[in-house]
Amino acid sequence: MYSHLLNTTELTLGWEFYGPLLGMVILILLGVRIWAVVGLGSVIMLMTTEVLPPALLGEALFDGVDSFALIAVPLFILTGDVLVRSGLSNKLLDVAEATMGWQRAGLGTSTVLGCGFFACISGSDAADAAAIGRITIDRLVEKGYPKPYAAALVAAGSCTGILIPPSISYIIIGLILGISASTLFLAAAVPGVLILVSVMVTNFLVNRIKGYEDSRGEFDVKHWLRTVYDGRYALLIPFIILGGIYSGIFTPTESASVAVIITLFIGFAQKTIRMSDVPKMLETSAKVSGVIVPIIAMSLPFAQTLASLEVPQYFVFTMTSLTENRYLIMLIMVAILMIAGCVMETTPNIVILAPILMPLAQEIGMNEIHFCIFMITSLGIGFITPPLGLNLFVVSGVSGAPVLSISKHAIYYVFSMLAVVILLMLVPAISLWLL
Amino acid sequence: MDFRAILSKIDKNGERYLTLPLYTMVVITIFFEVFRRFALSYSSIWSEEIARYAFIYITWIGAAAAIKERAHIRIDVILPLLPNKWKTIVFIFGDVITLILACIALYWSMEPVLNSIHFGSVTHGLRISQAWFLSAVPLGFLMIVWRLLQSMKRDISDLMAGRPVFEGNKLFD
Repeated sequence: MYSHLLNTTELTLGWEFYGPLLGMVILILLGVRIWAVVGLGSVIMLMTTEVLPPALLGEALFDGVDSFALIAVPLFILTGDVLVRSGLSNKLLDVAEATMGWQRAGLGTSTVLGCGFFACISGSDAADAAAIGRITIDRLVEKGYPKPYAAALVAAGSCTGILIPPSISYIIIGLILGISASTLFLAAAVPGVLILVSVMVTNFLVNRIKGYEDSRGEFDVKHWLRTVYDGRYALLIPFIILGGIYSGIFTPTESASVAVIITLFIGFAQKTIRMSDVPKMLETSAKVSGVIVPIIAMSLPFAQTLASLEVPQYFVFTMTSLTENRYLIMLIMVAILMIAGCVMETTPNIVILAPILMPLAQEIGMNEIHFCIFMITSLGIGFITPPLGLNLFVVSGVSGAPVLSISKHAIYYVFSMLAVVILLMLVPAISLWLL
Repeated sequence: MDFRAILSKIDKNGERYLTLPLYTMVVITIFFEVFRRFALSYSSIWSEEIARYAFIYITWIGAAAAIKERAHIRIDVILPLLPNKWKTIVFIFGDVITLILACIALYWSMEPVLNSIHFGSVTHGLRISQAWFLSAVPLGFLMIVWRLLQSMKRDISDLMAGRPVFEGNKLFD
């Protein structure tokens, strides 16, 4: 598709490109704030290469942020926070336990299912890991799991925070590539659930071999019905969010806002939240937009600079000259995304890598929605890939177990999620059949 | 309450005072827009505009708050390995880099504001001057510059006194 461009353009990138890029890598390794590095990198690259006027940055900082869809990012953090503080998240875990707790690896499976329920409300995996981990890790230890393993299990299950809709990552990639978040949410449903199931199955198998948990019991319909009835308000929230988005009644941003107001209302009615709790929740979520959105704002001019320098075409050219095999190229993309997801936050990864990898994906005939699902899921593995996966640090903070010992157990889940990514890669229909 | 006490209160909670009412407004505006569309089958163009523009203010003011708490996302691979003195120096270096970018951004983000005032551009929905909303970016960066200077002052005095450096608050504890 881009081959006609390759013949007409000179693809030579000199020091004026590699110099600033090297500087950026050094600054990022030194621990300078990512948005500042990306912003300064684009300013300097624009000055040395002179492809676009550097004043572009001034406008991008406003226009890049001026998006109704982007407001959903802090709002889907807020929904999760309100759910936890109102105590409704406990009800969701109770329902999960009544559903899956009867089998041998019962509490482990229920914990993962609880992560999945929470993922239907919150859009962030770190929030998911913190919320579920705080309640379940101690109980998992009581059931016989070693603490680092319990932490790794929660870390893996909560990767679904961004893989099961609603998800901040799908909102951001939709914004960058111009695809509606609702469409991506629909496409992501089955792949997200597959990841959840793979984590459950892995825990089941590990438990069979190592014999951590030995729960016995039978599925009790009466008990299940009673728990579901008890948790009816909590179950109403994902129904409103996902039902609203899928039926087209709400946009994702609107659904988040409605869910926040309704959860608050339930919390007030049940006297689990007081008016004085509200400012704290709003503040946390506002801070999230102050942390995430500047990265997006700064990465957009950077991506534009790369596009003007024809870096994506150069990349396509290099990759396709290495190999013609589309599956090999996809595997290389998985490797790039996993490494990127392990060393850096998802937001900068999406904004910088999506415009570079997308032309390559189109070149090998991938559907753009299939590409988005494939990309976010691969990045999701990075959250639990040792030694730098973000979720590992979150659960380490919650449980007190050292990151290194959690990492050892997280390896099982890295492989099981990788298996799902390869399945998604080979069978586009999984990502596309609901559309 | 004397003037100094008011200033120190603003210094402590400034971002909070600005973002809380704006954020409450965003949530309530969007909710009522949905409600009105259902109940009254009527929707306005200005409500989305309010939410969007308030969000831009929240973002850049929130970025300043995150500077104050050292909560911005960074990669911690080298930092934990360094002794305290070098850690402090690397943090100050990071602040200098951010300060350079913030000054550039402050300067360039003034240009759209001045243009808008000069040409008298108005927004689509509310029909008021665009400059009111474009100012969100320079205002935010002004606050970012201020917070960076404060942070550098604190770190330098910590460095001189040999105190452990402030490593920031975690977003999800």
